[in-house]
Amino acid sequence: MPPIVLKLFEARQGDCVDGRHRRPPVRSLTSHHHPTGLTSTPEASPCAWLKSPVRHAKFAVTALQAIEVEGLTKVYPPGLRAVDGISFSVADGESFGLLGPNGAGKTTTIKMVTTLSRPTAGSVFVFGVNALESPSAVRQMLGYVTQAVSVDGDLTGYENLLIFAKLYNVGKKDRDERIGQVLKYMGLQDRANDLVKHYSGGMMRRLEIAQALVNRPRVLFLDEPTIGLDPSSKREVWLHIKRLIKEFGTTVFLTTHDMVEADELCDRIAIMNLGKIVGMGTPAELKKSVGGDVITLRLSDSLPGITLPTEVGTVARTEGELLTILSANGEEAVPRIIQHFERLGLRVVSISMNRPTLDDVFMKYTKTSLVDAGTFREARSTRRSFMRRAR
Amino acid sequence: MSIVRYVQSALTIAEMEARKIRHDSTELWTRLVQPALWLLVFGEVFNQIRGLAPGGLSYMQFITPGVLAQSVLFVAIFYGITIVWERDVGLLTKLLSTPSPRSAIIVGKALSAGVRGVFQAIMVFALALIVGVGLRFDPLDVAGVFVVVVLFAMCFSSLSMCLASLLKTRDRMMGIGQAITMPLFFASNAIYPISLMPTWLQGISVVNPLSYVVDAMRAMILTGDYANLPTDIAAVGASTLIFIALASLLFKRIIE
Repeated sequence: MPPIVLKLFEARQGDCVDGRHRRPPVRSLTSHHHPTGLTSTPEASPCAWLKSPVRHAKFAVTALQAIEVEGLTKVYPPGLRAVDGISFSVADGESFGLLGPNGAGKTTTIKMVTTLSRPTAGSVFVFGVNALESPSAVRQMLGYVTQAVSVDGDLTGYENLLIFAKLYNVGKKDRDERIGQVLKYMGLQDRANDLVKHYSGGMMRRLEIAQALVNRPRVLFLDEPTIGLDPSSKREVWLHIKRLIKEFGTTVFLTTHDMVEADELCDRIAIMNLGKIVGMGTPAELKKSVGGDVITLRLSDSLPGITLPTEVGTVARTEGELLTILSANGEEAVPRIIQHFERLGLRVVSISMNRPTLDDVFMKYTKTSLVDAGTFREARSTRRSFMRRAR
Repeated sequence: MSIVRYVQSALTIAEMEARKIRHDSTELWTRLVQPALWLLVFGEVFNQIRGLAPGGLSYMQFITPGVLAQSVLFVAIFYGITIVWERDVGLLTKLLSTPSPRSAIIVGKALSAGVRGVFQAIMVFALALIVGVGLRFDPLDVAGVFVVVVLFAMCFSSLSMCLASLLKTRDRMMGIGQAITMPLFFASNAIYPISLMPTWLQGISVVNPLSYVVDAMRAMILTGDYANLPTDIAAVGASTLIFIALASLLFKRIIE
């Protein structure tokens, strides 16, 4: 890496907010010596703790969480609970994902955390700053990449970055340097002076991420970062995000309905369905919680109410002759499952065994497949937005 | 948020608009058709009728500030459509996620309409020059006209943004824009003096900001009589402030 790029995320001296709305830092269980747990910080500045020395360390026990959300609720009239009392926290330097079908309430959640939408109930703190009381101070700390394409096609890539650098109060002397850095970092320097409407989808997405980085954000919000991109552009955007996480330890908060994406990019995932968080953990933990291996088999005939001896496995889903079984030890379970069905007079037409994927996790927690849930909920959310517009 | 940052945010948003116009100015040229028709067709025909314009002015002279104001009015009143479009594509969400205060974004957008208004003014001036309408080209007066144009465009574009926050679709904005521009135009002194109107219409024209704008422009580029100028500018300024405040309050509804 060229050395200049390493300055992308340095802590800024000027981003101190006044202390009025700051929440007393949460005392972590393992640090007894000082309320903030940051006794080694030599600076006497009241905002010294904002530049936490441990923020680049992954999963460090920090006193201050990057994001803390409690009982967050959004009710749209006439009573649709888009987000229904969710609570979670994201550690400094962590990459956290909200996984769920379209319409699960992910974007509404992100809008409330980024102060764009006012919660009906609940609290949001970003690095200890109350988002409901000091929205502008919170916005100064974040970079937000929206779900829809949000760069202006009638401006050049450079101009898009320039405007946002100005809106984020980046000083005149730093502006060009920072813009140059993010353009280079996102691989767009050759096309900087072309109008954005001539960019490809993947380039626009990269420009949007670059735009969010001009602010040198402490938290980067990515709402469906690869939605609508072709597979190769998708990979490319993933690579850029992974590099950001790896090289700078940026705190990333993303939403996605793509299990592969959540698996690739997130340290920790919350599964969201119908406005609620139904499961949370690292991808490995979540997969483990599914209960071992996933066995899919096709029977010669459909049979309602199929059960299995518990030591063999549990039936997660039946769909006609198609059966999904979760088993702690797949290799041993396969012959026993075949035997079991032969005893019932059913022939096993085909059988396959897989390690659990996040789709299986999703299925376990919501009792619906991500794909099915998506289409149903999508229709509802599309109709809802129509209704909202009609008001 | 200091006042300097506030003004910077607003100016940055206006700069965005100016840069867009620099890349593609087609729209500005197409918007010249209507004022040209009013001036070259309507104006020329009614110029034959003596006594329509007061104070020894020719009708062409009389109508020029009116046509100028009307063309700016069109730009401003339909500005809300741009806002709805920007919301639909997600640009607005992005702007609102910056630390800039909402009202600074409104002021910036209103100024953007002002930028477009200034281009309209330049073109109508050029047109009037080509046709040979006698105008006073005192540099200070011309500068004054541009100030009034910017203020006026800000006034009606913020009204348009209020409507956009409430109506939320482009179709409805088109409808409401059509529905209010012509009444505003006809209930003003843009194409005939207020003294010729029936009494009920005179009452309406007194509360119509367009009348004050046209009056101010006439004073500056035709008569040189500044007696009413402070009242005119105060009236337009006050309406602008009210609409900007209202738009800032309503604006959060547009992205919810």
